[in-house]
Amino acid sequence: MSAVSASTSETVVTYEGRWRRRLYPIVMHAVMLTAVFLVTFPLIYALILSTQDSGIGSLRPGTAIVENFRGAWARAEMALLIRNTLVVALAVAFGKIMLSIMGAYALIYFRVRGGMILLAVVMLTHLLPLPVRIVPTYDLLTELGWVDTFKGLTIPFFASATGLLLFQQFFRTVPTDLADAARVDGAGPFRFLISILIPVSRTNIGALFLIEFVYMWNQYLWPLIVANSVRTRQVQIGIKQLVATDAVIEWGILTAGAITVIVPPLIVLLVLQRSLMSGLSSSTEDF
Amino acid sequence: MNTVFPNRILPYLLLAPSVILVLVFFIYPAAQSVELSLYRVNRVRDVQVYVGLENFQRLFESDNYINSLTVSAKFTVAVVAAALTISLALAVGASLPIRGFGIYRTLLIWTYALSPAIAGVIWALLTDPAIGLLTDVFNAVGINFNWRQGKDDALIFLIMAATWKILGYDILFFLAGLKNIPHEVLEAAALDGANSWTRFWRMVLPLLRPTILFLLIMNTLYASFETFGLIDITTQGGPGRATSLLIYELYQDGFKSSSRIGLASAQSLVLLGIVATLTFIQYRFISRRTFYQ
Amino acid sequence: MSKKPRRILFLLLSLTLLVAMALPGMVTAQDPTQITFWHAMSGSRAEVVQAIVDSFNEANPDVNLVAEFTGSYAETLTKALTAFSAGEAPNIVQVYEVGTRTMLDSGAIVPVMEVSGGALDQSQFVQPILNYYAIDDELRCMPFNSSTAMLYYNKDMFEAAGLDPEKPPATFSELYEMGQQIIEAGVAPNVISFGWPAWILEQMFAMHDQILANEDNGRAGLATETYWNSEFGVKVLTEWQKWAQDGILFYGGREYSANDPFIAGEFAMLAQSTSSLGGIQNAVEFELGTAFLPTLDGYERNGNNVVGGGCLWTMSGKSDAEYDAVWRFYQHLSAVEQDIFWHKGTGYFPATNAAVEALEAEGWFEENPNFRTAFDQILAGNDTIAARGVLLGDFVIIRDVVGAAIEDAVVNGVDPQEALDTATEESNQILEDYASLIE
Repeated sequence: MSAVSASTSETVVTYEGRWRRRLYPIVMHAVMLTAVFLVTFPLIYALILSTQDSGIGSLRPGTAIVENFRGAWARAEMALLIRNTLVVALAVAFGKIMLSIMGAYALIYFRVRGGMILLAVVMLTHLLPLPVRIVPTYDLLTELGWVDTFKGLTIPFFASATGLLLFQQFFRTVPTDLADAARVDGAGPFRFLISILIPVSRTNIGALFLIEFVYMWNQYLWPLIVANSVRTRQVQIGIKQLVATDAVIEWGILTAGAITVIVPPLIVLLVLQRSLMSGLSSSTEDF
Repeated sequence: MNTVFPNRILPYLLLAPSVILVLVFFIYPAAQSVELSLYRVNRVRDVQVYVGLENFQRLFESDNYINSLTVSAKFTVAVVAAALTISLALAVGASLPIRGFGIYRTLLIWTYALSPAIAGVIWALLTDPAIGLLTDVFNAVGINFNWRQGKDDALIFLIMAATWKILGYDILFFLAGLKNIPHEVLEAAALDGANSWTRFWRMVLPLLRPTILFLLIMNTLYASFETFGLIDITTQGGPGRATSLLIYELYQDGFKSSSRIGLASAQSLVLLGIVATLTFIQYRFISRRTFYQ
Repeated sequence: MSKKPRRILFLLLSLTLLVAMALPGMVTAQDPTQITFWHAMSGSRAEVVQAIVDSFNEANPDVNLVAEFTGSYAETLTKALTAFSAGEAPNIVQVYEVGTRTMLDSGAIVPVMEVSGGALDQSQFVQPILNYYAIDDELRCMPFNSSTAMLYYNKDMFEAAGLDPEKPPATFSELYEMGQQIIEAGVAPNVISFGWPAWILEQMFAMHDQILANEDNGRAGLATETYWNSEFGVKVLTEWQKWAQDGILFYGGREYSANDPFIAGEFAMLAQSTSSLGGIQNAVEFELGTAFLPTLDGYERNGNNVVGGGCLWTMSGKSDAEYDAVWRFYQHLSAVEQDIFWHKGTGYFPATNAAVEALEAEGWFEENPNFRTAFDQILAGNDTIAARGVLLGDFVIIRDVVGAAIEDAVVNGVDPQEALDTATEESNQILEDYASLIE
């Protein structure tokens, strides 16, 4: 009955209808605010604790924030770990984007004999997540001498089914006139790729960058077994070492460390989330 | 499709790096996994003994492994169910065309940036017997929660942390999927009452099917594989074997022992089989219904 | 005229720069020998290690020793062995006692006697360490951080409960009774917790002269059978389960995670390695007491506590210059000054007799009786096969298996006999696998 009154709001406006229309948004806002609060609260609590002298654990922010962050950075050698993780995350993000674009480009804009087979082969990677091949991959790294090197932390991640699929689907939607016009102008394949195709793919590149950066930044198992020394150690393992201490767990320092580690991917997420959303909206349709 | 450029060799060169990397780092190790699973190996001494299917046999006769399978099953089902339900509700809520709701869409996806390990640290903090806020909340309602001391508590703890972390990811994808819902449907739900909600779900769920399928698969993969960090930084499989998920057992046997690598490889193949089957089932189940409706 | 001086100035500057860059190369006759040392000393102990390394580097400018914290003992061991397979092993790696058998069988090490060219004087080390680490009477690794488990207790809590703070429990039943008193007095919700529970169980076996494995506890040959589920083992675990059910035992996790709540005053006693003494003593706000571990009623303390901690192993495949540097570091470590420094900073007991004498002479133990306890405990025992501790292949996994069994009994309420039966079965299977690849 209320549905009827809503669509003919100009004429039959019941008292209920108007009330509901005013109240509803407010109620929904309250609901959503509570939801956001509940989801975010754990992080807020961690933040509060990072300002306190360890062992207090109250809701009141303290004043020890500088000591805690300094302590966390010193103990875990955070500066070095951040540098190491940046190297890995950026390398893989760029590497994957490059390889995916190259591969999708080849498949869409050229005649590739057995192209479908090649695509299927790459798609297979989806069925073979790391844990399924982790022991032999590690042995392979050992043979290559890539243990405890940045090569070992990055190159195995360069090939990606996700990326290839993403760009392949996207390139299909790019109007053929664009490529035709380029050919008419006498532009070679590289010119087209670099001056036209890549700029057009900006959003997807942004999306993939976000996905891969966050993924590599948050890697745990692979760095645990591959990065032995502090030269290559990654931030997640640094946090583990803050946790696995033989004395008191100093929550202030631990939370300071955790928050430090969350910040970079959070920033990337903030900056690129719109790209991801647009990239997703167009591709999930075809899924 | 739109073959444009005539170059013969270039495309192969462009594809070569990807294909080579896949062969070297995916196919080859996968094949090795199969081979290793048939041996007993001591990596350090470079010795191996052929044992045929004994590793597999041992797995399925081992109480430990059966326990691991059970625990993993419980964990995965719980995480996927909880994560999908909560995130769908939140995503729908955030998609309502009410003024000012845009901000919720941004605020709800932040857990995407978290790692499972950090999620574990934060939840360990929340449930710490000494300073955990949740501990106080639980105590107030008479629940004595301690994940170091209770095997059910430990699994529940992991489920909560794992679900919380993946919410951002799921909400993100649902938000994208919901963008395709006709505006009027959302508006109706926003303005009216219970009636439109049922109509809403009947209309929205089918439209979201591809997203739900995708997330079902991705969340299963997440719960099975990516939660290693969470476990390693908190319960480490304990207490007892209460949280010894398949991925954790695999790590122990593959990397903490010197003679169980063959066993670990067998485990990785079983894991592959399970996940592939689940993926297949999910795909068929949801796809078929989409087709017929 | 203004251009010329400027150009000359520029030339002068470039020349200076060139000379400055070349100078370092001209001054050092030769690059220092680089050696690496991987260790598992976390927290405050890492700082003490670094101080020792720094003093070594200062005294030996032609060597550059780099010490790296590579994670827990288990992680460090794994990394070192796999690094060795990759040809990237460090020079020195600290391996816990549990990894001894694995290191010996690995083919990746050089016995310390060889490293020292026969110059290592074994008699400088305290006997219990020799008993544990000498195989066929010869040391294979360089003793560094040796510890044993002892009982820490909160003297203030004892007093508050009406107990004599100078009389900690000597037997399990005494502990139980005192525990009940503590709980009834409302002093603490729980009474005791363990660090490294599986290790404490091993301590119990060794203390009471109970053999844990065949082949003379794995020392006469590769062990293939374990006796976790012996009558003794089941009795110990049953007691612990009872303690847990009656609120006396608070299960605090594996390794060191029980330290934190003990320091925070959540229970009165802690069975933990003496290596935590330095850290705990600095952190507590109550009066700290230490004592021998209590014995199981009905059994005598005929054996001894097992030496834990770790030992330094020298990896093979390195250059002579590096081995020379390694040997010099070992000598630096065992020098009285460093040994004392290490002991005072951590709680690991002094490895050399000379250090013990010096400490006694300066009255250190009188002023810091807690630092003496673990040591006294070890000196008070008998040297029997069981007391020397067990050597098992793949002990890392077996420790986990036993730890899980203890958790099952204590936390999950599983029947101790059942839990230990399972643990024994699994351990034996692991040993079988291990042995089949060694022969």
